Amino acid sequence: MREYLLGNVAIVRGILEGGAGLVAGYPGTPSSEIIDTLGPIAGEHGLHVEWSVNEKVALEVAIGSSWAGTRSVATMKHVGLNVAADPLMTLAYLGVDGGLLIVSADDPFCHSSQNEQDSRRYAQFAGIPCLDPADPQEAKDMTAYAFDLSERLNTPVMLRPTTRVSHARADVALGEIPKRFEPKGFRKDPSRRVALPIHARPLHHELLERQDAIRRELEGMPWNRLELRGDMGILAGGIAGLYAEEAAMDLGLDLSILRIGTYPPPIELMTRLVEHVSTLMVVEELEPVLEEEVERLARLHNPDLRMLGKGSGHIPREGELGLFIARNSIATIAGLPMRDLPRLEEASIVPPRPPALCPGCSHRATYYAMRKAFGKGAIYPSDIGCYTMGVGMGTVDTCLCMGASITVGTGIRFGGEELPICCSLGDSTFLHSGIAGLLNAAYNKANITVTIMDNSTTAMTGHQPHPGTGYTASGDTTAAVDLEVLCLALGAGSVETARPYNLGETIEVFRRARDHPGLSVVIAKEACVIGARRGGKRRLPFRVTDECAGCKVCLEFGCPAIEFDGERARINALCTGCGVCAEICPSNAMEVAK
Amino acid sequence: MSLEDVQSVVLVGVGGQGILLASEVLAQAAVLSGHRVKTNEVHGMAQRGGSVVAQIRWGQKVYSPLVASGTARVLGSLEQIEALRYAHYLAPNGLAVVSAQAIMPMTVSTGEAIYPKDVPGLLKRSFSRLIYLDAAQAALDLGEIRAANMVVLGAVSTGLDIAIEDWRDAIVASVKERFVEINLRAFEAGRSFS
Repeated sequence: MREYLLGNVAIVRGILEGGAGLVAGYPGTPSSEIIDTLGPIAGEHGLHVEWSVNEKVALEVAIGSSWAGTRSVATMKHVGLNVAADPLMTLAYLGVDGGLLIVSADDPFCHSSQNEQDSRRYAQFAGIPCLDPADPQEAKDMTAYAFDLSERLNTPVMLRPTTRVSHARADVALGEIPKRFEPKGFRKDPSRRVALPIHARPLHHELLERQDAIRRELEGMPWNRLELRGDMGILAGGIAGLYAEEAAMDLGLDLSILRIGTYPPPIELMTRLVEHVSTLMVVEELEPVLEEEVERLARLHNPDLRMLGKGSGHIPREGELGLFIARNSIATIAGLPMRDLPRLEEASIVPPRPPALCPGCSHRATYYAMRKAFGKGAIYPSDIGCYTMGVGMGTVDTCLCMGASITVGTGIRFGGEELPICCSLGDSTFLHSGIAGLLNAAYNKANITVTIMDNSTTAMTGHQPHPGTGYTASGDTTAAVDLEVLCLALGAGSVETARPYNLGETIEVFRRARDHPGLSVVIAKEACVIGARRGGKRRLPFRVTDECAGCKVCLEFGCPAIEFDGERARINALCTGCGVCAEICPSNAMEVAK
Repeated sequence: MSLEDVQSVVLVGVGGQGILLASEVLAQAAVLSGHRVKTNEVHGMAQRGGSVVAQIRWGQKVYSPLVASGTARVLGSLEQIEALRYAHYLAPNGLAVVSAQAIMPMTVSTGEAIYPKDVPGLLKRSFSRLIYLDAAQAALDLGEIRAANMVVLGAVSTGLDIAIEDWRDAIVASVKERFVEINLRAFEAGRSFS
């Protein structure tokens, strides 16, 4: 049976076919749809599915479940793996019981990320197998296979889809979904579950010994495909293999091609390729993982081999590859003409259209009030979420990683900055990794203000619930954490909640926080406008009256629903009726459209 | 086999205009017409009012899910200047279907950039085969502005070899039951612009 599936939904299918009993993760593009899809069907398949508080928590929950004998999965985006790196590195020593899969979705070109790190490096670093799917079919098949591999070799396994795999759709041939395995329960074995130095030393030896077994197992996997033909060769990894194959056909070249889907890569197949060809181009996205490996093999087996790739400048190391780049790069080694990029004069005058805060988004009002109270000169450390898109409002001075607004702000203060400091981060980000930063700021007596922009959801990644919402991933009701009480318990001296749509009051709340001697917290609470509309909550839109003096003060607010026609402001169809512009307008020219 | 043996279409617009649904309907129609299909779409940050692209490819066998520049048979755009931004995807003899809708980017509202003047003229100079239609108005005339994506898709369908029955079945399979009728009518309205 075939079904047309999104890559991440194909991974869901693989999880079900692999007989997993637990899936835990934290939302992050491009990985979020895995748990989004599994949550609602968890009950019918007898799975425990959770949005964990962060990626470290998710992986540790999955590890515990594996140690109870249940096949388990942790899902995250590539930068989430940094958060989960602590348990990962020692897990590779301790091993698994039930098969354990870590899905770390990479994002070449930073479509929706702060960097484009390559998760294959983490797998290398930890000494664990990594499966690199080229399309949704491979993603499904690799996922289903990973649990068995994990159990037989006593190692966690990584699946590394990229954005163009997770968010591709294709028809996928499905397998059977087995009956749930009965969990075996936790087996006590301190030598393999307690990472004391005396246990870790022999386990490190075992981990290194295991590398050969991993290589042998992966060498013959169907995702590594060698076709020996002409004496020009291509070595391509993951999705780049598809670009290379199609490009070779377009060029009509009789190339030898080795496509790689598993890491550590298959040495025997690579050696056969290296011995067969005189010129070899390595096509892979991001880091030169295959290129380094094949360079080593070429020194041993074919020192005269002409090697092209990232080292020679033929394949870029940053950004994502595509059919066009792959085709033209391969054309150059064969001495064939490149295809021209169609040049259009008109395209150069198209204004940029970066993503922006939605019309009616309360973050815009919060930032506006924050800036009114703290002034242009204050320092504004910010964080990862929708609100980072407010960078144009002058209230986003830093964005590093999840939760870093508070800690970076603390450091800016103790590093000698004397200007007012007002941090901002979302509710989900605060609960992910801001709590420790706030506790640290209180403990070390940092004189800063922290703003929790509480829209009661994880908005940017597609509105996932979190511990502040009162709902779990499968839609069950649960206890909701009280942010005010939590911040007071962590030691903040002043905690006040504001409603950003009430702009005047919010400015006053920010002023009081600014004047508080010591650590203050402002919770700016208003439901995400997308979520509110989906929930059926709609406000009447506004319009501009003849009172408009054309002063453009409202334009500085930056709402996409406000336009200027040359003389006067105009409110377009995007208005969601938040009414904040009516508070800003000095001429009282905004009113509810009847 | 060349890159052109796989049929490629690129649909563009602004986050929230319904590009993903249009992409899904097109992909379903291609599946129903007996082809293997791969598509790619944008999720996450770019969806928030940013410029959005969906790429759809089908044929006997499809390798890359991404369309190479200069190879798309049809470029469908729900916003008029987005067609110019992604014009490089279109094959030299390809069909551009462009809705007359103009959505101001934030860079224009804030005065950093200028929305081009005489867009119809620019489009005529950029595309040798052009259907320039007011999809939003056509959808509004049918009573549902959100069906503008199906109007554009209807016009896009006139440049592709997929049977009308497959398009209809794809719409039925892809949209919620209570919206099927309006989407079918919007699609038909789009076809009449060819």
